[in-house]
Amino acid sequence: MSVNGDTSMADGEHETEVMEPGDEEDILLGGTPKLVVLRGATTHAVSFQIEKEDHTLGNSLRYFINKNPDVEFCGYTIPHPSETKMNIRIQTWEDTGTTAFDALRKGLEDMIEACDVVSEKFTEARDEFEKSKA
Amino acid sequence: MAHNNYNGYAGDSMEVESTGPKVTVREVEPGRCDFVLQSCSLAFANSIRRVMLAEIPTIAIDLVDFEINTTVLPDEFLAHRLGLIPLNSVNVAKDLQYTRDCTNCDDHCDQCSVTLRLHVKCTSPENLHVFAKDLMIVDGRNDDIGRPVLKDAARNGPLIAKLRKGQELKLSCIAKKGIAKEHAKWAPSAAIGFEYDPNNKLKHTDYWYEVDAKDEWPVDQKNAEWESEETAADASFDPDVQPSAFFFDLESVGIIEPDDIVHQGVSVLQTKLAEVISGLGSSDHGLNGGVSPDPYEPAPADGYAYGARGGTTPYGATAYGSNGFGY
Ligand SMILES: [Zn+2]
Repeated sequence: MSVNGDTSMADGEHETEVMEPGDEEDILLGGTPKLVVLRGATTHAVSFQIEKEDHTLGNSLRYFINKNPDVEFCGYTIPHPSETKMNIRIQTWEDTGTTAFDALRKGLEDMIEACDVVSEKFTEARDEFEKSKA
Repeated sequence: MAHNNYNGYAGDSMEVESTGPKVTVREVEPGRCDFVLQSCSLAFANSIRRVMLAEIPTIAIDLVDFEINTTVLPDEFLAHRLGLIPLNSVNVAKDLQYTRDCTNCDDHCDQCSVTLRLHVKCTSPENLHVFAKDLMIVDGRNDDIGRPVLKDAARNGPLIAKLRKGQELKLSCIAKKGIAKEHAKWAPSAAIGFEYDPNNKLKHTDYWYEVDAKDEWPVDQKNAEWESEETAADASFDPDVQPSAFFFDLESVGIIEPDDIVHQGVSVLQTKLAEVISGLGSSDHGLNGGVSPDPYEPAPADGYAYGARGGTTPYGATAYGSNGFGY
């Protein structure tokens, strides 16, 4: 439930809940959750289904997750071309404390960080280029 | 989280990313930027390419209301042409709402759309050319969003139609925010050149040839030199080598500057990642000890699915994900 603005809303009115980008647990796309766990999951082996994603996210996320030495296997698939769903399977080594959830989170965070670096480095490179031209 | 000191892409010195991604800008001209991305994976470079092509929000004409059209061109034809006209999209990502998400209106408003009008009539014996510059923004916003981009010397913009004497065209357009994944008219980039391994040292491709592949296939000299051509490459072929330099040649449509396309592309990618993190919820709830529920039983009330309580939404249960498995 959104906590934002609930108290400030006009009383008695049926306000539609406002979804804020930062609101956790509220990412629903057309009624489907952004992420669900597919059946048959254990702590160290989970198949996730991510809504509204494709190879843009899938392939590089797979790569980032695979770089984690605690990860035994990670692969992704788009089960059907006309469904906007992307499945990602993660298995971590059972003798590590890293669960598949940890590995996914780690992969996502690493990729965000890599994005930051690229954005930063691009600005630097662009400035440098302009300086060299001036 | 336990990660045995693994610290991501910048960690292992054996990895390509030992120093993190590197960028070199090689050429910049209006509407174009040529740069090299290094020390990152092909997968990641490709994600950036894909996101810059198809997922950066821009504005384009989406609905056209014809009042008068006595030209030789049918309404649909003109509507399609209007959709493709480049409209200024600087700051669309943050300053314009998606109409479908707009909380301010039931249909469309200034915060989620730009209205443009066109009214032309040919009264002279000479044909009248109707250009993008003839599209008039109906006041409402106090920024440049939705203004037709006029890049030609005469500042006309693209030609929409030609009218003979007596013909008239009167219409109004609603331009909306969207992404190129939905329709190519929302693409911010005209083309993105993307290449790695210009000398094919990694043998990711096998050139067809009649006599000699080297003579018959073009090589981007600039990229080839960057990688310092090695003639003895064949002798020392290593199947484990990963590509590490990615040559981007980014060409903008003109509605967003190329460097902005790069930054916005990266930030769109980050938003996607953040959404999944948010969908993952606070780490360790949900899968209690990895016991998977019986798929033939309804989902537990507290929701096996991450992100929200099962497949329930503010509008009720949905077919997909209602049992928490996505099926
Ligand atoms: Zn609106």
